[in-house]
Amino acid sequence: MSKKQRKRSASTVAEAAPVATEPEETVADHAGRDWNFAFLPDAEPEWVDEAALHGLMKDWRHGRATRTIGQVLSDAYFAVFTIVLLGAMIVNAIIGSQHAAASCTTADCAVGRTLIPWGVYFALCALTLGVARLFGPVLASAAEGFWLMEAPIGRARLLRPRLWGVIVLAGLLTAALQAVVAALAGEPGHLVAAFAAATGLSCAGLMAWAAAAQSGDRRRPLALVRAVAALGAVVALTAMVAVSAGWVAAGRFAVPDAAVWVLAGAGALLALGCGTLAHRRLDVIPRARLTSGGSLVSSMQGAMFALDFGLARDILVEREAAARGHVRPTRGRGTEVFALVWRDVQRLARFPRPLFGVLGAALVPYALDAIGLGLASPLLGAIALMVALIPLFGALRVLSRTSGLARTLPFSTRQIRLATSVVPALLAAVWCALVTPSMAGILGGVARAPLEASLAALATAAAGLLGAMRWQTARPVDFQVPMLATSSGAVPPTLIFNLLRGFDMVALVTAPLLLGVAPVWAVALAAVVAGFLTAGINTAEMTEEAAEQRAALEEERNRAKGKASRPAARPGGGPAGSTPRPRPTGATAAGQRRATARRK
Amino acid sequence: MASRSVVLTASGISKTFGEVPIVSDFSLTVHAGDAVALTGRNGAGKSTILRMLIGAQKPDTGRVEFEGIRMSETNPEIRRGMASVIDDLDFFPDLSVVEHLDLMARAHGVPEPDAHVDAVLAEVQLVPQSGQLPGTLSSGQRRRLALATAFVRPRRLLVLDEPEQRLDVEGVAWLADRLVEERKRGLAIIMASHEPHLVDAVATRRIHVVGPEPAGVAAEAPGAGEADA
Repeated sequence: MSKKQRKRSASTVAEAAPVATEPEETVADHAGRDWNFAFLPDAEPEWVDEAALHGLMKDWRHGRATRTIGQVLSDAYFAVFTIVLLGAMIVNAIIGSQHAAASCTTADCAVGRTLIPWGVYFALCALTLGVARLFGPVLASAAEGFWLMEAPIGRARLLRPRLWGVIVLAGLLTAALQAVVAALAGEPGHLVAAFAAATGLSCAGLMAWAAAAQSGDRRRPLALVRAVAALGAVVALTAMVAVSAGWVAAGRFAVPDAAVWVLAGAGALLALGCGTLAHRRLDVIPRARLTSGGSLVSSMQGAMFALDFGLARDILVEREAAARGHVRPTRGRGTEVFALVWRDVQRLARFPRPLFGVLGAALVPYALDAIGLGLASPLLGAIALMVALIPLFGALRVLSRTSGLARTLPFSTRQIRLATSVVPALLAAVWCALVTPSMAGILGGVARAPLEASLAALATAAAGLLGAMRWQTARPVDFQVPMLATSSGAVPPTLIFNLLRGFDMVALVTAPLLLGVAPVWAVALAAVVAGFLTAGINTAEMTEEAAEQRAALEEERNRAKGKASRPAARPGGGPAGSTPRPRPTGATAAGQRRATARRK
Repeated sequence: MASRSVVLTASGISKTFGEVPIVSDFSLTVHAGDAVALTGRNGAGKSTILRMLIGAQKPDTGRVEFEGIRMSETNPEIRRGMASVIDDLDFFPDLSVVEHLDLMARAHGVPEPDAHVDAVLAEVQLVPQSGQLPGTLSSGQRRRLALATAFVRPRRLLVLDEPEQRLDVEGVAWLADRLVEERKRGLAIIMASHEPHLVDAVATRRIHVVGPEPAGVAAEAPGAGEADA
């Protein structure tokens, strides 16, 4: 059905609707108002089809547009300008990489570089399946679930564009990303195209498979393939390090170019086959599965509007916990603060997945050395560790996001932060030990003496740990403060800084290492930052105390002035904001309480 | 009554949201064994008063003290003595019902925590849900868990905001009995409630909070439960 036909159909619905008549009963208090709506008289319902309903919804949405065409064009100009600028930067980087690759003549170097696209291929496959499982991949909003899915209409017609949309989108996005990475890795043009096609088609196929499995809620095979893909990414990364270090012969990992095209073909077949299967099953996908993804999208949109990644992660964690539902309870151990520490140990035993993240992050400095980015190893290694440690600070996050739970525990903020940091700190120490050889430059990175390398590893691990702690404890954007006026509307000043939380600590602590200053300074800086972060300084409380002291001082001054000018000063006549006279007891004060608000 | 120790004092506390005063010059003294019930219609400011009393919200003016210590919700001494169940209570998404209570009891150094946790769990009728994660509990069960976190730990002051919310009739009756028992043991209770039976059974003093109405006056009256105190 064309747009025009749909519009006509929608207007037909509107025309066919019974004409509103005067309400049978009017409320006397509001008789003068123009209500703009009325109760429908008894009339036979009109038969409408799904296209008409869809058209009507579209009409409502367009009728509520809040932006003019000029604003849209202005935004489009900025978007195009940004894309061109970023594109030019990427192309420039690719050209530089291609020049650098020309000097990569040994087999070890060539194979090491070729393993990068393979790692990205597997990582994107795992990511695609993860996202597909999380959101559906076919989804419907709560409103659609309530209004449309209950109506006697074919769901398939509404869901079909979404199904093919997510399949194509998955293919295009992953292909583009892989093309950029392969080009940056110095691959020749035909291999860049082959890797992009293989990744795009494979990811599209996996997305289609996830959609086909959605009707039966068959999640186990998806989880298994996702785990295998993630393992493949880790193996590729490890192999790259091993080849570059000369631990393994390069020939072991030499994959013929034809294999990439075979993967592309298999991906295309999977996309078509599973896409067709999913297409046929659209009518039988349970409504709950469709709206579940829709509600997740709306929640995530809310978090993203505030650039609150912590909230976005909370939503995902809550969802995962709700899906699990039940655990085998375990008794705790110890008392006081140790009980909190031991719970973290039990958490790790129950959900050991973050452990693999930390071990994977230990490969990053070696991989960076292997591809000649050893100088950036402290910064990027610390960021990798930070990302890996964030899930281990789950308890700290819950105790920091609202004060309700922390208030029930008899500990200070510092005690809570220290107790919840013990397990992540131990893992960071393991990471530190694992990456120390890399910091000594055994793979050709920055060469350091053993003591310096140990200090550099310590500072890098501390940077990752403190970054994760900062990420989990940072307060969300405050929308009650005065806003900045921007072309995109009112923006709270802390919105942009919210993006940097965690990364700011990493950059601060690793700065001496990047600038070539002795690593001991980075360790000292980390100690200072740790002191501030664990102290949990309550700035609001400090501000309030200062204001109270100022007010008391002011009151004292006024009293002194009053004494000088008038012998009998009026009691309790302090300035606004001063501490009022205390009331003796509730019983005597109760009759004097008065609420004087005006309700709008 | 005069010999009973003062647990909490609030002196002339006020709160304004924007330009709208919500609470104006409110004072209160609560002794051990007192049960103060705040009643009043929605929006009258009961929850705001409670939040200021426990330090979750700073009053614009005035002062709150818990056993002579200036109220700060981050003070470990105050956290040790005051249990509160208001609307901001959060749960660990990855800890089960019984694990929450176990953690709470151990953190407060309860002797023989296992037996104590089991007793409280049975009392709030959450034994079948002991292994469930909080995200899967019904709203009533979450309410019971929240109340259990307050009952599983030592306390000298209990602050509850509409504790009857989401509880069934049987649950409200249990809560009333439990709070009366707590009060008789010398615990100080401050609660906001819309449930007349709960207020009648528990409160020794009742404060009717009149909202931000011009010339609105709050009145205090002895509660029916005062005879028991």
